[in-house]
Amino acid sequence: MIPFEYLRAGDPAEAVAAVAGRPGAAFLGGGTNLVDHMKLGVAGPDLLVDVSRLPLDRVEETAGGLRIGAAVRNSDLAAHPLVRERYPVLARALLSGASGQLRNVATTAGNLLQRTRCPYFQDVTTPCNKRVPGSGCSAAGGYTRYHAILGASEHCVATHPSDMAVAMVALDAVVAVLGPGGARTLPLAELYRLPGDAPQRDTVLEHGDLIIAVELPHLPFARRSAYRKVRDRASFSFALVSVAAALDLDGGLVRDVRLALGGVAHKPWRATRAEAELRGGPATEDAFRRAAEAELAAARPLPGNAFKVAMTRNAVVATLRALAEEGR
Amino acid sequence: MRVNVHVNGEPMVADDVWEGESLLYVLRERLGLPGAKNACEQGECGSCTVYLDGITVCACLVAAGQAEGREVVTVEGLSEGRARRRGGAHDRNPRPDPDADGVAGPRLDRLDEVQRCFVEAGAVQCGFCTPGLVVQAHSLIASASRVPEDAEIREALAGNLCRCTGYEKILDAVRLAAARVHARAAAEDARTVPGGADD
Amino acid sequence: MKTETRTSLGVGASAPRPDGALKVAGAFAYASDLWLDGMLWGATLRSPHPSAWIRSIDVGPALALPGVFAVLTHEDVPGAKFYGLEHADQPVLAVDQVRYQGEPVAIVAADHPETARRAAAAVVVEYEVRAAVTDARRAALDPACPLVHPGGNVVRHQPVRAGSAGSGAEVVVTGEYEVGMQDQAFLGPEAGLAVPADDGGVDLYVATQWLHVDRDQIAPCLALPEDKVRLTLAGVGGAFGAREDLSMQIHASMLALRTGRPVKIVYGREESFFGHVHRHPAWMRYEHGATADGRLVYVKAEIVLDGGAYCSSSPAVVGNAASLGVGPYEVENVWIDAYAAYTNNPPCGAMRGFGAVQACYAYESQMDRLAAACGLSPVEIRVRNAVSQGSRLATGQVIDSPAPLAAMLGELAAMPLPGPPAYAPSGSRRQGGSGARARGMIGTREEPDPRRLPGGVGRTTRGEGVRRGVGYGVGIKNICFSEGFDDYSTARVRVELLGGEPHALVHTAAAEVGQGLVAVQAQIARTELGVDRVTVAPADTSVGSAGSSSASRQSYVTGGAVKAACEAVRRRLEALAAADPGLSLGELLDRYGPVEETREYRHRPTVPLDPVTGQGDSHTQLALCVHRAVVDVDVELGLVKVVELAAVQDVGRILNPLALEGQIHGGSAQGLGLALLEEIQMRDGRVLNPSFTDYLIPTILDMPPMRLSILENPDPNAPYGLRGAGEPPTLSSTPAVAAAVRAATGLALPRVPIRPEDIALAHTG
Repeated sequence: MIPFEYLRAGDPAEAVAAVAGRPGAAFLGGGTNLVDHMKLGVAGPDLLVDVSRLPLDRVEETAGGLRIGAAVRNSDLAAHPLVRERYPVLARALLSGASGQLRNVATTAGNLLQRTRCPYFQDVTTPCNKRVPGSGCSAAGGYTRYHAILGASEHCVATHPSDMAVAMVALDAVVAVLGPGGARTLPLAELYRLPGDAPQRDTVLEHGDLIIAVELPHLPFARRSAYRKVRDRASFSFALVSVAAALDLDGGLVRDVRLALGGVAHKPWRATRAEAELRGGPATEDAFRRAAEAELAAARPLPGNAFKVAMTRNAVVATLRALAEEGR
Repeated sequence: MRVNVHVNGEPMVADDVWEGESLLYVLRERLGLPGAKNACEQGECGSCTVYLDGITVCACLVAAGQAEGREVVTVEGLSEGRARRRGGAHDRNPRPDPDADGVAGPRLDRLDEVQRCFVEAGAVQCGFCTPGLVVQAHSLIASASRVPEDAEIREALAGNLCRCTGYEKILDAVRLAAARVHARAAAEDARTVPGGADD
Repeated sequence: MKTETRTSLGVGASAPRPDGALKVAGAFAYASDLWLDGMLWGATLRSPHPSAWIRSIDVGPALALPGVFAVLTHEDVPGAKFYGLEHADQPVLAVDQVRYQGEPVAIVAADHPETARRAAAAVVVEYEVRAAVTDARRAALDPACPLVHPGGNVVRHQPVRAGSAGSGAEVVVTGEYEVGMQDQAFLGPEAGLAVPADDGGVDLYVATQWLHVDRDQIAPCLALPEDKVRLTLAGVGGAFGAREDLSMQIHASMLALRTGRPVKIVYGREESFFGHVHRHPAWMRYEHGATADGRLVYVKAEIVLDGGAYCSSSPAVVGNAASLGVGPYEVENVWIDAYAAYTNNPPCGAMRGFGAVQACYAYESQMDRLAAACGLSPVEIRVRNAVSQGSRLATGQVIDSPAPLAAMLGELAAMPLPGPPAYAPSGSRRQGGSGARARGMIGTREEPDPRRLPGGVGRTTRGEGVRRGVGYGVGIKNICFSEGFDDYSTARVRVELLGGEPHALVHTAAAEVGQGLVAVQAQIARTELGVDRVTVAPADTSVGSAGSSSASRQSYVTGGAVKAACEAVRRRLEALAAADPGLSLGELLDRYGPVEETREYRHRPTVPLDPVTGQGDSHTQLALCVHRAVVDVDVELGLVKVVELAAVQDVGRILNPLALEGQIHGGSAQGLGLALLEEIQMRDGRVLNPSFTDYLIPTILDMPPMRLSILENPDPNAPYGLRGAGEPPTLSSTPAVAAAVRAATGLALPRVPIRPEDIALAHTG
């Protein structure tokens, strides 16, 4: 770690001003990702602005939806009765991430902004375009088991590690941002970006932009939703692939569906092609498989992760099949 | 910088804290409380689990500044009457405690029920994971309204790695502690309810 | 004198650990907790390259940092520049070249651990990178392979030849198997505190497995006589073989001697992965020939172990793989070649099971193939070939104590199986819900706070595509050091009056690494002396060597030494009592003062394997464990849930039931980890997952309930008839789990750990 200063912000505007005014400053939420990265030498902010105790720790009911404060802890969010009732996919995604101790401190915004687990990103002795732009990508041609099969570039094949974000992307979440220029909102799906030639940027946020809240819209059929995660270990391991889905059935037909994938891309991957394929069609295993394959037609697996294509397809089919059976 | 923090009920001050230090480092190296363990320092093993304002966290991922003004309870704080601060090299090797009751170490009757059950059930081998597991199990039992089921115990302890025991004896210890704590709570309830247990 | 009083916490009782209360209270002093006024922190600069020449080292930038007290390289090593357990081939600090990623190059002492780390990073090393040798088979068998060491790449080749090869089998099965590189992954990182002494020597407080062999390696490198290098065991947070080699011992001592101040070194988790040896990855080719009714006719095997960059204990590991390479089965004709090779991968050495683990996975996989080829059940094929007392191993050694393998298998197979999969059949899913729901796992409105729900939430399958499998594994492990090693332990026992009560002090140099030896030593003293109050003194080098806390040997050898010393004390007390009849023990001690005796204990001698034929009585004791694993496999997603592990083990004599069960549970868990989770991922000689996020050991959610049956068929040669118990469960659980997954999936699965994609890819439909 390099030396740095620590400041506890009193309100969001103060926090934004403090970070915006200093190029090397960073927001500190629960710290579970940033403190680790500072120890590893992956991150080296010269000013930490602690936003974990700002009054952004409430979950409020909106018109049929929820507004989740940025500082709401993952464990509190997973336990919230309205989350469990309206968005079980989100509760399950949260609980499948990290461990109890980490969920107790990890914040909503911090979870959204956690950085990739690519081993080369975390090993400061190896080239990595995300850590040091232009230094090269060690994963391309390297160890790629946990890497992307969709939307990668020659500059970066990393995946986004969050479970929660996959559920939120499926749920059409919107993020509220306070920046140096004022407040704005944007769909969560548009917060994230593909690596392209600038993999150092995980999101479209500018320096000093602070996520204030996440809004989940009214989505009644999300009461029938699920999150399924394929990983090496039963607890506390990152997804090889994961699926967040909500299914609205009309008899044997799919009236509506939300589907997002984790562990497959630089961002939580909203499976819009599969959704389009499914809407209005039969809720059958064959249809689920065809939809998954339509989404995965664009997959470009790496030498070390070709298995992810079939695994993702199987996970999509299994998740939708279970939701369909639940509804019968 | 200076960090003020309440630890195990006592106000403590750590001076000359470098901003990059974790709460774990402050506890272990500046406040003389080495009970929370440094097995991974990446939040992956749970050995440094402590209470922070009443919830369990991995102290290794809490920046020292984040602890300012907050309440911390470590494994040392769960048992009564233990010296909180390390005096120096005398701690280098375990010695029989003057208070010891036949086995070295603090008297068993001064330990928290969870700690006592870990010893009784054989849940301690090398013991490096034990402080974190004890705190996490303590939190589970304290917050549960009934004796937790095995599945709940497993979930609650899923962030605590143990390499020695295969977890079987740890489950035994937590079941035993939970049963005793809840039996005692039930007995106390019965005493305080008029017409309760008067047998 | 009355010494016949049976104490309640003697041999056979679940005596509590004397260190238990300290450990649960957070008051036990582990090596990383040590602290002295004015101490400095050490840090190590390690090679980022698996193979390179060192062209220059500039310590100037590191020395210039405020708070830095010393920066040392190989030039500063006072004595011998190399050390090692079997061959002194490992540099204290790299000399002109590095042979693995993580090899220590320079060391630093500073007044804050972060300052020390930064200073280490500030040392400028100019490397000329070479191609790394990373394929152990090529290193061992291809004469054209570049050399890692000038003497050749083969660390040891041990053949075993018995009978004649390839004679008249009716059924032949062959297979190639691989075992990934497993890490001991103890929780307490390498740590120690070196304190410079007034006599020019050093006092070292360190977490290790064998104080004396550490000293034997440290002293020459420091150019100090042995009596000026004094070691005391600090609290050890697990070992499993990884602390048999040196890590920070010489480095901290050098820094302490140079600076004149105490120096503490504590590895972080990442450094720990580079700072100790691992289990040898193995490539194995086996051919089993049998009669049509499944009786073994011959076994041929080729076993290649990747020894990594330095020798460590590879030769002994090869000896185990070779001598135990066919497992506990009777077969007349054996043709085995076992090798360890130098490569530029991380050094490999001791880990629980020590060479027997890798072979066990392969020969048990073969036994299942043979069972299938012969139309027999996995249990039946093993029973038909099982060794028993009087059987001859491939090395010619006769098993001369009880080895009731067939009966153990019978008992294992007769144990009740766990209930059917909790997943309801698809037709009844609506009534019963999924298995997950039936067990209250999936959150819905009526359910409790989901923080209480099993985190398998994400991983839990809902029943479709789930298949149940049952598998068996059998293992045989040598106990104590083999092949002619002078394997002994030393115990000093003193009986005296303390506070008017008789009290025994037991002093050995045996390392308590978590296994519970401190409790067992006290139990033996209680039983032998009839004294309730026993203290086990801290282990240090002021008493003779106890040998290593490895090879499942300490209850046997140090237990034997404590027993012998107690017997000597007792004989003296009895002589005093005879001269002064009618006095109690307390009165005798009051009159004559303390009685103290020191004894060495050795197990029966062994001999080295013949280098050409592999024949010889190389082991002093052999131990058996058998496992049954029951798994549920989601074949679509490749997820394995181990539902239950059952084990039968013969330990000869139970010294402490609670501690023994803990050993079997823990050993089984490490075997399960190897079967399903644990592998150090290597690429081109680089370690890719040096963290507990990426190197996955089983969590409490991965471990199933275990069912144990422990047998006591005594070994007449061993103290109390005991048989070492720590390692055997680590052998047999791995093949049992792998066999269960095979049974569930029908896949060959020739490699462990088995990963989700190994299963899901085969079921892509």
